Amino acid sequence: MAVHRGKGLATVEYPTGMNQNGDPSQAWIKVKPDGRVDVFSGTADIGNGSKTVQSQIVAETIGVPYDWVTYDNSNTDSSPMCTGTFASRATFVAGNAVLKAARQVRERILAVASRELEIDPADLEVADGSVSVKGTPAKSMGVDEVAGAATFVHGELLTGDGAHLNPGAAIIDPTTGEVDKPPHAAISYAACTAEVEVDDETGDVRVLSLTQAYDIGRAMNPTLVEGQIDGGAVMGLGFGLLEDCYPYYPTAEHRGDGMNTYHVPTMAELPEIKNVLMENPSSGGPYGAKGIGEMSNNAQPAAIANAIHDAVGVWVTEFPITPERVLAALDAKSEGRSEPRREGRVVAFDEELSINSFTSAKTWGA
Amino acid sequence: MKVVGARLPRYDGVGHVTGRTTYVDDVRVPGMLHAAALRSPHHNARITRLDIGAAAAMAGVHAVVTHADVPLLVYGHLSGAGIPGDEPLLAKDHVRYRGQPIALVAADTVDIARAACAAIEVDYEELPALFDVRLGFDGDAPVINDTFGNWYDQYEGNLDVRQIRKGDIDAAMDAADLIVSGVYRTQSVEQVPLETQVCVAIPEPDGRLTIHTCTQAMYFSLGVVCSHLQLPMSQVKMVGGTVGGGFGGKVDTASDTLTALAARKSGQPVKWRWTREEEMLASGNRGPWHMEIIDAVTSDGWILGRKMLTIHDAGAYGRFSVYGLTKHSFHHTGAYSIPNLHFDGYVVFTNKIPTTAMRGYGVTGLSTAIEVHAERVARELGMDPYEFRLKNANRVNDTSPNRIAYEDPSTVEVLQSLAAATGVELGDGLRAMTREQRSGDMLPDHLVAQIGSGGGH
Repeated sequence: MAVHRGKGLATVEYPTGMNQNGDPSQAWIKVKPDGRVDVFSGTADIGNGSKTVQSQIVAETIGVPYDWVTYDNSNTDSSPMCTGTFASRATFVAGNAVLKAARQVRERILAVASRELEIDPADLEVADGSVSVKGTPAKSMGVDEVAGAATFVHGELLTGDGAHLNPGAAIIDPTTGEVDKPPHAAISYAACTAEVEVDDETGDVRVLSLTQAYDIGRAMNPTLVEGQIDGGAVMGLGFGLLEDCYPYYPTAEHRGDGMNTYHVPTMAELPEIKNVLMENPSSGGPYGAKGIGEMSNNAQPAAIANAIHDAVGVWVTEFPITPERVLAALDAKSEGRSEPRREGRVVAFDEELSINSFTSAKTWGA
Repeated sequence: MKVVGARLPRYDGVGHVTGRTTYVDDVRVPGMLHAAALRSPHHNARITRLDIGAAAAMAGVHAVVTHADVPLLVYGHLSGAGIPGDEPLLAKDHVRYRGQPIALVAADTVDIARAACAAIEVDYEELPALFDVRLGFDGDAPVINDTFGNWYDQYEGNLDVRQIRKGDIDAAMDAADLIVSGVYRTQSVEQVPLETQVCVAIPEPDGRLTIHTCTQAMYFSLGVVCSHLQLPMSQVKMVGGTVGGGFGGKVDTASDTLTALAARKSGQPVKWRWTREEEMLASGNRGPWHMEIIDAVTSDGWILGRKMLTIHDAGAYGRFSVYGLTKHSFHHTGAYSIPNLHFDGYVVFTNKIPTTAMRGYGVTGLSTAIEVHAERVARELGMDPYEFRLKNANRVNDTSPNRIAYEDPSTVEVLQSLAAATGVELGDGLRAMTREQRSGDMLPDHLVAQIGSGGGH
C-alpha cells in the first residue's frame, strides 16, 4: 500500500459569446456638468467583475480617471438591453457596447472643447480627464470644464450610445452542421498540468498543483483574470473529483441537500495554482479581449484523470473520480480486467459503459 | 493605456467583503408576504386531484397560485430561437421530476406558507421513472416528455439528431493504423451559488410590477416574466444586476415569474427565498453527458478522423439543452484539427431536474472526454503527450467542424508556454512550431483539404 504521484496534461479551447451569436448588448452614457461619467448597461455582475471591466473600458476610451465613472446596471427601466452574463460574453460583447458609447462621448467632448479652444478637434486629445492640443500639452482644458461649458454655455448634453451584435449564424445544412458565418466570436485557449497523489489503499486522490497557461487576448484587469482562473481551477477540481448531484446513480435517491452532504472543494482540497497569462489580442474584442470566465473550469478534470493514470495506471472515465471508482479500477487492474479489447487495429476501452451494452435500440460503432 | 490592463480594485468589492452590498434578500418592503412552494414528491406521476381550498382558507394565507393562474403556462427558454416550449411554469396534471413546483403560497410568514403547502390536497398516480439516458431509446421506456417524446426531435430539417459530417469518415477508418474507442461519462453538478434563488415582487400603485431579481440576465428574465404574464415590457421593471453567484444557474429565471404571480394575486409585495435544500434538490443543474469517441489515427500520430456519439441528459424538460448540444457539436474536435468527422448528438429526457447552463456549458464534459481520449491515444501510440497534441493542434486557416477557418488559434502557444512553466523540455521541432498556417511536414496529404480559403473571420 502506497501513495503514488503522477502528472497529467490537458488542452482546451472555448468560444466567446453565445453559440451561433445573435446575442446583442447595448449601453448608453451621459456626462454630468462636472465631467463625471454615468454608464448605463444591462449587464448583471455575477461576481465576474463586469462592472469593473466595463467601467475601465469607458474610462480608457473617453480619457478620464477610473474613479470618474459611475456604473449603473440596476434596472431595466434605465439600462438598455443586454442578453445577459453567461456564455463568456460580458467583457467582449457588452464591453464592445460600452466601448462604442464611450467613443461617441469622446467625440462630443472634443467637439465642445474645439469650440472652447478654437482648435480643430482632430488636433485635440483626451487623457486623464483633460483635453489638450496634440504636441502642445500646455494648451488644455479639463473635461470637467468642457462638460460645464456644454451644459451651461452651449446647452448640450454630452452623451453616447452603443450597441454590439455579432450577427446570428445559421446552420445551412443540418445533415453536416455547416454554418453560413462564424458561429461565435474569439476563441480562448488554455493548457493545464495537474500533479496528483493517489493512495492505492483508500483510493483518495489529492491534487498537489495545477499549472495553467491561458491565452486570454488581453488581461483587462489581471487581478480579476487571476480570480476567474483560480476560481475556475477549483471548480474544475470539484468536477473532477468531488461533486455529483446523483451520487448513487442510476438511482436518484440520497442526494446531497446541503453544504455538509454535497462536497464542493474547500480550503482542505486547495492545490498550489500557478498561472501563465498570454496576451494574443483578438481582432474583435474591446482592446483585444476574449472571454475567459467559463473555460477556466474545463481543463482540470481531464488533467487530473490523466495524472491519476500516470500515477497508478488506471483510467477512470466516469466522473467524478471518487475513491470508490479509483479502488474499483485498481481492483480491475489487479484482476486483469482493465485492459481494453485489442483486436487487430482496434483498441476498445470502456465497452461495459457503452450504449451497446445497454440497449439494442441504437447501434453504434466504427 | 493606463486604465485597461491595470490592477484596479473591484468596482463593488468593498461592499461585498464588508457585508454592505444590497442583495435581493436584503430588500425589505412594508407589508411584504413570504412564499413557499409545494413541490412534487415523485419522479414521475399523474396528478389526479389538486385541491387548494383548505390551504387558501387558512388564516394568514393571501394567495395560492396554481397552473390555473398563469396566463401562458408553457413558455420555452429557446422560444425566441424557434424551439418549442415544453415545461409548464407550474405542474398541471403531471409531475416529471421530484421537486417540480405545483403551487406557490404567499402568506404572512414563511411558516404559514409552508403549513398551507402541506394543506394542499394532491392525489398522485405514480408511474415508472427513467434515469439512465442509455435506456431512453428503448421502445418500452416510459415516455418522459409530452412535447418531444424521449429525445428532442425537431432540429433543422426535422432531424431528431444533431449531426456533423465532414470529409470521409469511412476512408479515415480504412486508412487508420489504429482505431481507439472510449466512453466518457460526466455527471450532474450543482452551481452552488452562495445566494440561493430569491425574488421580491412588488405590485405598484400604477399597476406595474417591480421585481427584485437575482437573474444573470435581466432582459432575458424580463422577457420570460412578460411572456408568462402576457404583459408588455413596459409593465415590469426588473431591479437587479448584483448577483450573489450564478455560474449559469441563474439564467433559468426560477423564482421571478411565480413570485410576480403571487404578488399580483395577493395585491401585496411577496418575497420567495429558496432554502439551501431547494437550491440543491430542485434548481436546474449542470447536465450529464454520455460521450463515445472513436478516433482513427496513424502510427506516426495524426488523427485522421473522429466518430462520436453524444447523449446529453436534459432531465425532464428541454430548457437550454438543445443549445448546449449544438455548441457541444461545434467543438467536438477540441483544440485539434481533425479532417474527417461523423458526429451524432441527442438530447434525451429523464425524470430528473431539468438541467441548465453552467460554466463551460456544452463543453466542460466534452473537453474532459476529448483530453482523456487524447492521452489514451498518445499512450497507445507510445508518443509523448505534448508531441501528439502539438502535431494535431489547430492552426491558422485549418477549418472547424462547421467549416469555418480558425483565425488565430493558440493551442500551440499555450502548450509551449505550459511546457516552459513546468520544466518540460520540448524537442527543437516542437519548440519552433507556431500557430501559422500549415506547411511542410505539418501539411500532410490528409490535411490539404482541411485548409480554409484563408482568413477573414
